[in-house]
Amino acid sequence: MTPAAIIEPPAMMELHRVWKVYSVGPVKVPALSDVSFQVTKGEFVTLHGPSGAGKTTLLRLLYREEIPSEGEIQVLGLDLARARRGEVAALRRSIGVVFQDARLLPGRTVYENVAFVLRVLGTPRREITARVFEALRAVGLSARAQAYPAQLSQGEAQRAALARAIARKPLLLIADEPTGNLDEGMAAEVLDVIRDVWAGGTTVLVATHQKALARTLRRRTLTLQNGRLLKDEG
Amino acid sequence: MLAFLVGEALRDLRRAGRVAASAILLITLALGALGGFWLLSTNLGRAVGEWRERVKLVVYLRREPSSADAAALVERVRGLPGVASVRFVGKAEALGTLREVLGKDAAVADQLLQNPLPASLEVVPTAGGATPAGAQALIAGLAAMPETEEVGGGVEWIERFARGQRLVTLFGLGLGGVLGVAAILTVTTATTLVLHARRDEMEIMRLVGAPEHIVRLPLLLQGMTQGLLGALLAVWILFSVHLLLAPRLEPLVAESLGLARLTFLTPLNLATLVVIGTLLGGLGGLLARGRATP
Ligand SMILES: Nc1ncnc2c1ncn2[C@@H]1O[C@H](COP(=O)(O)OP(=O)(O)O)[C@@H](O)[C@H]1O
Ligand SMILES: [Mg+2]
Repeated sequence: MTPAAIIEPPAMMELHRVWKVYSVGPVKVPALSDVSFQVTKGEFVTLHGPSGAGKTTLLRLLYREEIPSEGEIQVLGLDLARARRGEVAALRRSIGVVFQDARLLPGRTVYENVAFVLRVLGTPRREITARVFEALRAVGLSARAQAYPAQLSQGEAQRAALARAIARKPLLLIADEPTGNLDEGMAAEVLDVIRDVWAGGTTVLVATHQKALARTLRRRTLTLQNGRLLKDEG
Repeated sequence: MLAFLVGEALRDLRRAGRVAASAILLITLALGALGGFWLLSTNLGRAVGEWRERVKLVVYLRREPSSADAAALVERVRGLPGVASVRFVGKAEALGTLREVLGKDAAVADQLLQNPLPASLEVVPTAGGATPAGAQALIAGLAAMPETEEVGGGVEWIERFARGQRLVTLFGLGLGGVLGVAAILTVTTATTLVLHARRDEMEIMRLVGAPEHIVRLPLLLQGMTQGLLGALLAVWILFSVHLLLAPRLEPLVAESLGLARLTFLTPLNLATLVVIGTLLGGLGGLLARGRATP
């Protein structure tokens, strides 16, 4: 082992020459081209780029909703190409994801949606209620606990998804445009929540197309354009 | 966790609604048919068993032997394979029995110049001797004795009846099987409906890291619940019908079949039906799983 490897902080995720090409009929759409980077434990990383740059695609690769066309991905030490189904499920339980389209379970209330992931984790029943409300309070949604997803505004749905992601106290928080449907005040609140989670030791990766947001975060920023990683700065 | 899974399964069952209800009904029909024929077959089997025990062969003798010869003959016949017991009936005893049977018309017998009834041996076969093959061998052996005039009685009619009983069993199994397949398919349809309703939901569950058994077990459970409900319903119907009909049928059955009581299925039989129903339902749930997983 080289000395460098000893002082190197443990990698939270590591992408090596990753390509993702979608086939739409006969047409091949390269969504990601030769992307490589590393994120270490405890970092706060912003993924910035215009709409269509490949941000969502990149995030989906990280929790293995998609598999890369080429290249290697490791997340939390797990080689995603070789991971078995049970390992992928376990990985997803260590990651909190705020999907761009929220993806709440449609037949369940906000409370049940957040409680579901805690149940899946095997959280004791008595702890579940307290932790669900703690998370809902953090995102300012306690009053909507009994509402169904269809009754929520897009902003509320996104905050519910954030509550679901943070309730489990994940090692890694991935958020895809978490402020996309929010007004400025609410966006600032959501960012505060994410910062708090990060301060608690969770590694954070936030994707956004909003330049202003990327600037206010003033963290390490990965800039993506046309599927290529243009800049890695901060 | 179990309560959670059962809750999910019930939620799914409600979602499948009317199809789940018809699945339950079909399972009830399948198990009702199976159980009904089982009940019938069990009682017929009991009748056959009792007749087998009461089977007697009568060996009519050419001449009435002396009592010493009779004793030796009885000894010899008792030594034949398949014989449980032997009793010698002399001419006089036969006539006495005839008088008893005739009752007040016994005077007819008194007008006979001489006793026309032959002496005979009443042979009770062992269980082995009462089977078709055993009886055939036994009858052949008895007929071959020099003292024998004729061998009366036999077991063919019981065998015909036993064949009938087996036919009833087969028919019941066949009907139950056909209805069972229909039930499985209906459970599969119900489960497939649930699957479609839940496809997105299952995808989201997987994305938040739910292990596969939590995603899928509710599907299996709702199938099994349909089976269990159908089976319990069938058992309840069988029991009610038996309770209602048995007292009415028993006098008839006592006369025709010689059975004093119509028994119900044993607890083990009932448990078997319930288990079969639950498995049928589970199988239906599993098949839907297979269909839905690419
Ligand atoms: N499932 C898909 N099939 C085909 N093309 C896709 C699919 N998902 C994304 N794309 C394409 O990949 C590119 C990147 O999309 P996306 O990752 O959603 O970008 P972003 O999240 O940065 O807006 C776009 O051109 C998009 O049309
Ligand atoms: Mg996107």
